[in-house]
Amino acid sequence: MSNTETSDSLITTDVETGANERSATTDATAVAARDLDVYYGDEQAIDGVSMEIPENRVTALIGPSGCGKSTFLRCINRMNDMIEICRVEGDVEFGGKNVYDADVDPVALRRKIGMVFQKPNPFPKSIRDNVAYGLKIQGFDGDVDERVEESLKGAALWDEVKDQLGSSGLELSGGQQQRLCIARAIAPDPEVILMDEPTSALDPVAASKIEDLIDDLAEEYTVIIVTHNMQQAARISDRTAVFLTGGRLVEYDDTTKIFEDPEEQRVEDYITGKFG
Amino acid sequence: MATDNATDGGFGEVSRVRGIVFEYLSLGASVAGLVALGVLLVYVAIDAFDLADASPEWLLTYFLTLVVPFLAFCLYSAGDRAVTRRALGVLGGGLVAVAALFTAVEAFVVEIPRLSWQLTYLFVVAAPVTAYLAYVGSRGRVGAVGFGLVGRLVGGAAIGLAVGTLFLVFDELVWFLAYTLGVFPAAVLYAYGRWRSAGRAMTAAAPVGLVGIVAAVFLRGVIATYPSDLLIYIWTLAVPIAVVGAVVVDGRGSRIAAAAAGGVPLAVATAGGFLAGGFGVPGPTALIVLIAVGVPTAVYVHRAIDEGDGLIGLGLPFLLVVGALVGALVVEAWGVPAPDPWLDVGFVTGSPSRTAADAGLYPAIVGSVIIIALVAVLSFVLGVGTSIFLEEYTAESGLIGSLTRLLQVNIANLAAIPSVVYGLLGLGLFANLLGLGFGTAVTASLTLSLLILPITIISAQEAIRSVPEDLRRGSDAMGATRWQTTKNVVLPEALPGILTGTILALGRAIGETAPLIMIGAATTVFSAPDSLFSKFSAMPMQIYAWAGFPQAEFRYGVVAAGVITLLVILVGMNGTAILLRNRAERGN
Amino acid sequence: MTDSTESPDLQRRSGLRRLKEGTYGGFFAACAAVTLLTTVAIFVTLLSDAVVFFQEIAIAEFLTGTNWSPNPAGGGQAFGIIPLLIGTLTVTITAACIALPIGTLTAIYLSEYASPNARSILKPLLEVLAGIPTVVYGYFALVYITPALKATVFPEMSTFNALSASIMVGIMTIPMVSSISEDAMSAVPDELRQAGYGLGATKFEVSTGIVVPASISGIASSYILAVSRAIGETMIVVVAMGAQARMPAVQEAIFGIPYINPADILLESGMTITVAMVQIAQSDLTGGTIPYDSMFALGLSLFVVTLVMNVISDIIAERYREEY
Repeated sequence: MSNTETSDSLITTDVETGANERSATTDATAVAARDLDVYYGDEQAIDGVSMEIPENRVTALIGPSGCGKSTFLRCINRMNDMIEICRVEGDVEFGGKNVYDADVDPVALRRKIGMVFQKPNPFPKSIRDNVAYGLKIQGFDGDVDERVEESLKGAALWDEVKDQLGSSGLELSGGQQQRLCIARAIAPDPEVILMDEPTSALDPVAASKIEDLIDDLAEEYTVIIVTHNMQQAARISDRTAVFLTGGRLVEYDDTTKIFEDPEEQRVEDYITGKFG
Repeated sequence: MATDNATDGGFGEVSRVRGIVFEYLSLGASVAGLVALGVLLVYVAIDAFDLADASPEWLLTYFLTLVVPFLAFCLYSAGDRAVTRRALGVLGGGLVAVAALFTAVEAFVVEIPRLSWQLTYLFVVAAPVTAYLAYVGSRGRVGAVGFGLVGRLVGGAAIGLAVGTLFLVFDELVWFLAYTLGVFPAAVLYAYGRWRSAGRAMTAAAPVGLVGIVAAVFLRGVIATYPSDLLIYIWTLAVPIAVVGAVVVDGRGSRIAAAAAGGVPLAVATAGGFLAGGFGVPGPTALIVLIAVGVPTAVYVHRAIDEGDGLIGLGLPFLLVVGALVGALVVEAWGVPAPDPWLDVGFVTGSPSRTAADAGLYPAIVGSVIIIALVAVLSFVLGVGTSIFLEEYTAESGLIGSLTRLLQVNIANLAAIPSVVYGLLGLGLFANLLGLGFGTAVTASLTLSLLILPITIISAQEAIRSVPEDLRRGSDAMGATRWQTTKNVVLPEALPGILTGTILALGRAIGETAPLIMIGAATTVFSAPDSLFSKFSAMPMQIYAWAGFPQAEFRYGVVAAGVITLLVILVGMNGTAILLRNRAERGN
Repeated sequence: MTDSTESPDLQRRSGLRRLKEGTYGGFFAACAAVTLLTTVAIFVTLLSDAVVFFQEIAIAEFLTGTNWSPNPAGGGQAFGIIPLLIGTLTVTITAACIALPIGTLTAIYLSEYASPNARSILKPLLEVLAGIPTVVYGYFALVYITPALKATVFPEMSTFNALSASIMVGIMTIPMVSSISEDAMSAVPDELRQAGYGLGATKFEVSTGIVVPASISGIASSYILAVSRAIGETMIVVVAMGAQARMPAVQEAIFGIPYINPADILLESGMTITVAMVQIAQSDLTGGTIPYDSMFALGLSLFVVTLVMNVISDIIAERYREEY
């Protein structure tokens, strides 16, 4: 356990309401990477990334396409295990435990970490069954309907679908589908929610609804979001990590700092659109 | 070819003659096989129904009472003036053209055996137009309702007859005990669990059912007295089917309608079961058929009324029955000479005989139904299991990856092995080595299951592969285990495709003959098999046997009737498969 | 939210869930193993009896003998495969003469000329040709084709003959040629066609000069599969071709060149390998006799031939899949 250096920042001091009002320095660590290298076959996708992601904050991962930000996201809940040629070295700690330890069950891990994908992927089942899916596979013993309602409210979808819980999730609009997927992800009460470009397949109105929602979600969950939309990262995140080509983490700091006064010239060039 | 005949400074012209000739040649090739098959099928139909002896008056009578009202129904449903005009034009123009052409050919070229211009018109013009109009009509609401109802009547009867046939072989007393001790309590537990959201009750259902079924097998010999067959079927089949129907209707809202949809067919079937003996029909069969027809029909009629659109379509069965009755009446009253078809009720319910007039296919039909039922279960389980393994449980690289590739190549090769070789496998392995007996239904089922397994696997794999990867990843990310993802996401999506593929493969199995000969199946048996280990025959075996008879009545009459029976069953199965697929595609 | 110092429980479960997962995985693997076992079982079954047969009858005698009579009335059993090979080749070649050109033209029509609508109707209809039970085809050949040919073209034709059976085998194998060839032709990239049109080629020239050569390996693989299917076809020939294992008479033409009159084979009864197997199976067979074992020797020959052809077809098809 290499968790000692975070012990002095364990105390969560304040309760915040809006994203940019949250002070971003004094939080406990939810997820931490240490010297993480990821290879696809011979190609290196992540190169020596170390970072600590604070609890109950929105952390954005930005960078040009192919920079390894999605790969990093998928290391956290070990979705990369599904890709056979993928090899991971180094540690990813979740709650102080390295998720790549031999005794960790990736299935158990994923039950504690929700994930939302780029393209909305509701199951071809009813809205209710979609949200209850995680509860069902985990053998949830409580009141399923109550939890479904809570989750749909949490995803700001309840008012739109409360009269049609039995109809198929595929009948919803794209933005509604994505919020359904968010409801599905939060229903089993995970600790972290990973989002892989959740708005890039949506129209601007639907996307802004999701952004508002992400802001609310940070009250209760640690949100890690991959986005290639820099305005979005600036709007919703507390911390921002900039990946550049070769899978290297170039700069990681408070969002305001990154966007107003980045240390690295390359980051400034990227943010101002000079390349990428 | 660019020929240099440029005129007046234009671009010149490139000769298209060869291209056009080639296009029509390839079009002709595409339909050549189909036309050949079509002609042969026409002749088989003529022979099976003795249409060569049908008088023009007889044909006209039924054309007017049966075909014309049906066409009118389809046109009404389509509600499209252009279609009506086109259909009438083709029917009328075709009449003149066929009559003229046919007479000319007969007069100047060659006499066409066993065909008249009326029959030619029937097959070449009337039948395709009817099929086309049925297709167009089924897309209208009225037609959809009507065909849906007819489909449930016919399909219910077919399933009822098949289930009744299975109980000729399987011990209904074991079934009675297994149902009472295992299936029923398990179903009640499961239903209670769902209703109360009590996970524990639902989990308990499976073990309770298993224990009950095992207990049933042991208790079968111990218990001495049983209720009568009819009561067993009412309790184990009629009541649960009626309850399912009622639950379905109840789900749409209406309590009273639910009671009626379950209760009325149950009452009718029970009454039918008790009264059937008086008409020489076995009571249990009558009961099963009536309940299998009644409940789906009642549920369907309720839905049609509920939706309240195209209700007039519900009259289609009456239209057809009344048309047939009126036709029969007219034929009877005016003494119109009627053909004497080989394919009639006696043929389907009778036993084989040395005289052509008495010959029947019943034991062979029973044999085929039993084999197919077993093959369906075996090849479905093995096929789906294998395809899940190949698609969901393997890796692409490493040892398992090479094993998968080996399996895949092996399956492709198995599909290409001649069926007669599978017969030798059945003979050597199942009949001789395992001692399951020469020509028994078990040996045949096992052999045919292995024969169609590669086709089942390949189509099931395609169905599973077509489930979007997104859904799998979504489920994985929720922390589902591989089996949970497979069960909850992949299989429900892939099921229609898997079923379609399995039914199509079963169509192959039902017509296979060579393997049956190799394992020593009887060509002719005179009574239906009564156990899985008794000698049996199957429809294609019987057709093969009859085709070898030298008498013309057998060659041109009895065999034709057998061929038509086999093809009708085949078309029914494949039609169901295609309907399933279309419905699933529309669902997406 | 849990306190972050307390590690979440991510341990592997050793209990019921693991057992359940393992059981399902094992069950599916077992299902898959059945397919492998089937191949092994076929091979072992055929080989074990064939070995017994070849202990009695020398392989050379089996492969070169010109007389096949496993159950003679008056003694003198003979197990020479040559007459059976002649029968099988006759049916295969004649059927190929029908199925290959028609199938290829059909594939060209479907892939190059047909409108999407026509294709969606024609393709499933063609599959029907392969779905009709073969015993029905045999019956058609015996009861309709033979009398029709006899009444018109070949009055001297015998009731059981190779020609009618071969025609039906040919029709049955059309969809095999057409569907695989069409897949190969559809896989030809449109750029190639565009390039042809850009050079001023007509549709005919593009179809025959560009698409067909480009998809030649797919077409070849479909041919091999169709031929292998014709070799193994049983019921059509059993019903319509009769069961006479005969050697065609060799005649002498001018200058003493020996030749065989095709009519002597096509219009007469004959026997294929498959028919020979069925014939023995239908006689009162008991295990352990030479005729019984000869059935397995024939089955083994059939199995090996079809397997080899299938592997060759696979290898060729693999090539066209790699090309595009």
